[in-house]
Amino acid sequence: MTTITTPTIRAPRTRAPVRTRPSRSAAFRTLARRRFSLSAHTPREILVPLLTPILFADVIAPALAKTIPATAGIDYQSFLAVGTIALLVPLSCVLGGIGIIVDRHSGAQRDLLAAPTPRTMMVLGNLAVAVAVSMLQVVALVGASVARGATFDTAVSGWVWATGAVLGIAVLMHGLAEILAARMEKQEEYVGAAPPVALLPWFFAGSFFAITAMPWWLTWFARFLPLTHALALMRYGLVDPHGHGLHDIWGMSDPTVMAMLSLAVVAVSAVAVLALATRVFTRSAIG
Amino acid sequence: MDPGRNGAASAIEVAELRKTYRGGVEAVKGISFDVARGEVFGLLGPNGAGKSTTIGMLTTTVTPTAGRAQVGGCDVVGDPIGARAASAVVFQDAVVDRSLTGRRNLQLHARLWGLAPDRIAARVDDVVSRFGLADLVDREVATYSGGQRRRLELARSLLSEPSVLFLDEPTVGLDPRIRHELLDVIAGLRTTVDMTIVLTTHYLDEAERLCDRVAIMHDGAIVALDRPRSLLTALGDEIVELTVDAPASLLLAFLRERSLTNDHAFAIGNTLTLPLRGVTTRDVFDALDVSDFRVVASSSRPPTLDDVYLDLTGGRLAA
Repeated sequence: MTTITTPTIRAPRTRAPVRTRPSRSAAFRTLARRRFSLSAHTPREILVPLLTPILFADVIAPALAKTIPATAGIDYQSFLAVGTIALLVPLSCVLGGIGIIVDRHSGAQRDLLAAPTPRTMMVLGNLAVAVAVSMLQVVALVGASVARGATFDTAVSGWVWATGAVLGIAVLMHGLAEILAARMEKQEEYVGAAPPVALLPWFFAGSFFAITAMPWWLTWFARFLPLTHALALMRYGLVDPHGHGLHDIWGMSDPTVMAMLSLAVVAVSAVAVLALATRVFTRSAIG
Repeated sequence: MDPGRNGAASAIEVAELRKTYRGGVEAVKGISFDVARGEVFGLLGPNGAGKSTTIGMLTTTVTPTAGRAQVGGCDVVGDPIGARAASAVVFQDAVVDRSLTGRRNLQLHARLWGLAPDRIAARVDDVVSRFGLADLVDREVATYSGGQRRRLELARSLLSEPSVLFLDEPTVGLDPRIRHELLDVIAGLRTTVDMTIVLTTHYLDEAERLCDRVAIMHDGAIVALDRPRSLLTALGDEIVELTVDAPASLLLAFLRERSLTNDHAFAIGNTLTLPLRGVTTRDVFDALDVSDFRVVASSSRPPTLDDVYLDLTGGRLAA
């Protein structure tokens, strides 16, 4: 039995609208602020991530530098400080993905999905905080390294290359974190899967040594990793003006050309993974 | 937006809406309905009936497989952001940032729904006082009780003064006192705020109390859609439940032979549910006196939406 009728409904009162559709930039700012509030709403949450880079710079790097004074003419402590960036940024970005799972299970993610903003903004808002935290860690690491005697080039162009590389690798690793978080149901699964994703490339990317120190087939494998390119770029900008690391990848003689090529590799990888992450998030978040 | 049957424009229009999930589960099977502006519309049904999937499609968090739906004049597939701008949702589970304060949750929602920045503080204060959250709102939400959290979510949903408010099982899991308190709040919205409300529930008293019309869903389809009173009227003024010492279907056949029952009577196990129309309890018991059936238990009561649902589907609403 199906009876379909429409009873008389009381006439609605008119009201002044209090809202407009928010702009993308306003939505992005709001979502980034939210993620920042969630990730760093106590001083402890801001300070603890800085502890690892400072300990690396102040304890491990100087100790290793006593054993190996220099590599490719570069002071090993400075060489290693840059190598540590390639550990910290991926680890920080990938572990940040746990927050995405928390958001889905016990946070406000569903309310955000019902908000009148493009859902891409949720990924970009999270990304902004991942990049900001990464940059903060890099600054802490560089500061602590300098305090212990490491030396870095001060040319602006060098810092631009290094910043581009950090930015690229942060975007790429955050994209991987979004994909991983979308694919994993539980935090426990994520915690198990995150370290290999964050750490595995670091072993081959030439963090503690030149990639040519590995067997030839591993050297070839390393050349395909965006992290290898990012690391060589950072060193080119900060400690290796002759571009030894870039030469190990490209075998060319012009460091600027090699740097541009490596930056392109990092940028294209980052954009591709971010685009994929956005698609995976959007598809997995809605039924 | 098309004008509704009463001259009022429809806030929601749904035509042949369908959702089949991956793996072939057909959650919603081509449903159609309109909800007029200012109406409180109930989607009623047990768990798995397709209510939440329907709400999901209307709030654009579930993609329809086929059909069409408009919310506030915006197609949920063609203009999902427009549909979301016109609406707000209170979800079945707690959907809040627990490590943030209530005020921060409200502010974030207000910004995302496009409230003018200079109006946010006043608007937040307004809903905070209306929902009695003043003492809580600067505390972390993690410290709230279930009822307090639900009040916060309801307050949040009203910040943007949405044209359409979706309430997905808003009182589920709450203790009876808080549940009734919230029902009062929702009922109060009808008189103080002009908005269309779509409410899903499997609590029949909520639907009877709050809704102008209800659509009863069963197995992904709408099996009845009307005012609660009209649906109940079909069952008469009184329902008699008889438990006998034999299969109740035999008693049903016995009473049918004597024209003492109608199509709305149904038998489950040894219990016969008998809506009375044009006959009295006395007529039924007089007939039983001359039969071989022994009445183990009997009761009489006004019909409920549960009876309507049982009549339509053969199953009970409340899980």
